[in-house]
Amino acid sequence: MWPRVWHFLSFGAPGVLVYVCFVLAPIGISFWYSLTNYNPFNPPISYVGFDNYVLLFQDNEFLTALKITSILTAIVVVVPNVLGLGVALLLDRPGWLYNALRSVFFTPVILSSVVVSIIWSRLLDNDGPLNAFLRVVGLDPPGWLSDPDVAIYSLASIVCWQMLGFCVVVYLAGLQGVPTELLEAAEIDGAGPVRRFRAVTWPLLAPALTINTVVLLISAFKTYDYVKVITNGGPGAGATATIAFNVLATGFDANHVGYASAMAIVMLLIVAVVTAVVLKLLQRREVDL
Amino acid sequence: MKRFSAVGAALLLAAGLAGCSVKSDTGGTGGGEEISFLTFETPNLKPEYWDEAIKRVQAKNPEIKVKKLVAPNTDRTAYAKQLLQSGQFPDVMIAVAPAGFAEAGELYAWSPDELKDFEFPTANPVRGKYFQLPANTQTIPPVYYNKKLFAAAGITAEPKTWPELIAAAEKLKAAGTTPFVTGGGKDGFASSMILAGIVSTDVYSKNKDWLTHRREDKVKFADPDFTAALAKFADLAAKGYVDKTSLSRDYTATEQAFLEGKGAMYPMGNWFAAAADSKPHDFDIGVFNFPTTDGKLVVPAYTGGGMIVNANSKNLPAAKKFALAFQLDKAQLDQSVKADGLIPAIKGYTPPSDMGAVYQAGYKLYQDAVKQSAVVHAFRWETADDGLLPGMADKVDQAAQDLITGRKPAAEVAAFLDTEWNKAR
Amino acid sequence: MRWVRPSVAVFVGAIFFVPLYLVLANVFKQGARIASSPMSLPVPPTLGNVVAVLTRPDQLFWVSLTNSVVVTALSVIVLIVLSAMLGHYLARTRRTWTRVLTLILLAGLMIPPQVILIPITDVLRVAGLMTTLQGLVLFNVGYYVPFGVFVFTGFIRGVPVELEEAAVLDGASRTQVFWRIVFPLLRPATASVMIFLGVWIWNDFIDPLIILGPSQGTTITTGIYRSIGQYQADLGSVFALMALATLPVLVFYLALQKQFVKGLTGGATKG
Repeated sequence: MWPRVWHFLSFGAPGVLVYVCFVLAPIGISFWYSLTNYNPFNPPISYVGFDNYVLLFQDNEFLTALKITSILTAIVVVVPNVLGLGVALLLDRPGWLYNALRSVFFTPVILSSVVVSIIWSRLLDNDGPLNAFLRVVGLDPPGWLSDPDVAIYSLASIVCWQMLGFCVVVYLAGLQGVPTELLEAAEIDGAGPVRRFRAVTWPLLAPALTINTVVLLISAFKTYDYVKVITNGGPGAGATATIAFNVLATGFDANHVGYASAMAIVMLLIVAVVTAVVLKLLQRREVDL
Repeated sequence: MKRFSAVGAALLLAAGLAGCSVKSDTGGTGGGEEISFLTFETPNLKPEYWDEAIKRVQAKNPEIKVKKLVAPNTDRTAYAKQLLQSGQFPDVMIAVAPAGFAEAGELYAWSPDELKDFEFPTANPVRGKYFQLPANTQTIPPVYYNKKLFAAAGITAEPKTWPELIAAAEKLKAAGTTPFVTGGGKDGFASSMILAGIVSTDVYSKNKDWLTHRREDKVKFADPDFTAALAKFADLAAKGYVDKTSLSRDYTATEQAFLEGKGAMYPMGNWFAAAADSKPHDFDIGVFNFPTTDGKLVVPAYTGGGMIVNANSKNLPAAKKFALAFQLDKAQLDQSVKADGLIPAIKGYTPPSDMGAVYQAGYKLYQDAVKQSAVVHAFRWETADDGLLPGMADKVDQAAQDLITGRKPAAEVAAFLDTEWNKAR
Repeated sequence: MRWVRPSVAVFVGAIFFVPLYLVLANVFKQGARIASSPMSLPVPPTLGNVVAVLTRPDQLFWVSLTNSVVVTALSVIVLIVLSAMLGHYLARTRRTWTRVLTLILLAGLMIPPQVILIPITDVLRVAGLMTTLQGLVLFNVGYYVPFGVFVFTGFIRGVPVELEEAAVLDGASRTQVFWRIVFPLLRPATASVMIFLGVWIWNDFIDPLIILGPSQGTTITTGIYRSIGQYQADLGSVFALMALATLPVLVFYLALQKQFVKGLTGGATKG
């Protein structure tokens, strides 16, 4: 129908061009930097091949960051997904009460991560409200953000809190797409609530699960702001330093742009592979269902 | 209009004409004598402080227009780096460490004549030149203490030696008080204060050029004397004199904790004196020098903290003039003493006589040390090529945190510092 | 048993609400009382914190608000136009090349901005757009275009081609057809793109921090970050600033709430 070239030039090209300039080209530049020892404070630039990558996999700091990022991502992908489904099932009713509660759950999603970080660092402070409460009920709370073995889980919980509302809203939308006739038919056939959920509701929520998982995966990999504002990577070496955090610390604070770029490229590859695999699996599941 | 000037700036760049301070918002108008000035804000240094200071300089130099920039957090050195890398290097910056910038040729080197009014014109050299105005000295860290808690624990004299300090800490602990107040969170330096004191008094008193030698690979963090300093610090934590759970407390909250009496001793830079004299607390605050092993007088301090000027500034003369006028103005010096507890290192300057008791006490400690030539550098706080490599200060803070939590023994922490040092090169 | 669900829902909601309560209570509490009793009710309430933020001598709030509104509005408008058109191209041209292009764009959804931030400053500098609002807007457009495309493409596939062809036969130009006939049908998609991108760009932290630099003033988010350094002793102002910064997005969300979920799920199921 349309002259294809013209259609591309008028409709497709502007978007593609900006994308190329501000995403693809920078990735290319990043890759080039990663093959050099580029340090803006220490010219000249020289080509070092894949040395940075070799160093990277011998670098404890990077390997720790990889581990920290994996823990964080695993928690952030699973927890809001599961809890979000639970809350969505709970709130899947008409009425002002449920509407109001939906807004409560969604509000953190629209908060800036800086705001969320400030709120939670006060809540989780050693002398903060949470610990005060736990001590009243007779518990001995851990150092939520001061114990290096606990801090990463505290950070993950904060991200979960912020993302939960997103999952709730997406699942609720999915639930509204479940035809009541199907559920009623199943009930007439004698299926209990659990069976009805497994046989009818859950399969129809497949697209919602896909969206949530992908969005959570992407947000978790990017975690930077919380680390910067709450712990600055500590307490202690690498306790909460994510890869994203290390990329900027190495590139901007320690001036090793070449090395930081290698980190960035590795991170990019990991994100791409993991997301692609997860997306593929989830979509295959959608089709099977 | 902005877009056009932006395109204009782009063309300039493409022609390789523009230096490092691209300010497309001012480009095109010629700029006149406008300079950009990077400041930072803390509880001591509020926006009004900077505005008034700039006004004061402008009153005497009306031709200089100043655009005030504000670093987004107290780590203005890191921010200045980001600005340089993204092509926005300011004309004048205050209290930004010159190391790195200077070697890369980004900073103006002051001439001896320009430095004639400064008490220590040869402080913080980079490759034998002087890039940062040595405007003030900071003692880091004297130990501030809560006289009420000391009395309650039965401590009668200020500790002078390490064993006396330990004994005092033991008494405080027995009395149910946390001996040392520390912090951390996003402000890692609050974790490494005690460590800075130990390294300065133990390691630097034997070899004042220790970090210069580290740069030359003549010494290592894993050497026995440095590792011993780490172990000494780890020991304090292991004995429970430092509260591990305070590691998530940022700097402001840490200061607040001391002022609320949540701990007895607060080793902190002498800028704390300003807060000690002005913020509410219901006890008297004393101050003593960081104790040394045998009681010999060694006072860690660092002189610098002043302005650096962008060598490629479009208005270099104005930038230089502004920097010198700012740093040498008597009224401004008085203000900096009052607001931030600084010890100006300007010839013939004495702080206002109405300064508070804590400031006066700290000032006297420092003056005595100068008279007895007992001053060494403050470890971690050096800002020239006698200091840590870029990015290493964060690692020292992390090392201190690992020692406080006991996650790593001293030897492992020393190895960590050596590894990171090699990476930072 | 009918009270079980509402009670459980209220209970869970209440726990979840605690951090939000912390902000709400402390905005109206006297500054000095916040540190000692953060969870208490703001009695007696005060507007002092809000007033203090709004009347700061350096106008931090107002400058930041203006910057954020300009950047967010411009970015979102350009994004909607560009990604709707690109979405149309991808939805209507089914060839190997468009499939590859879609994949490349989708990959862009996953790229963490930190990874490309350093080279982006290089690109912007060469273009002379570093430290300008236009530069930040362009970056936002490039970075978020995949999301817009992701949402719009699915939706446009749901719009029958025949509709467009009939209009073209009636003599309308292709562009007219798209904007007059197809685009109005994409309302839910547009709403969800507006909400999500609006919220993300409004709340963005590291990009405006670096791209905008200090000379243009801060955005709302970087302004909050900056003010915590100075303000922490004055917690009331921090909370007031946080609440004021969130208010515009909250209103925006509530206004578009109904439309946008439909848009997001609609796009994904079909895309």
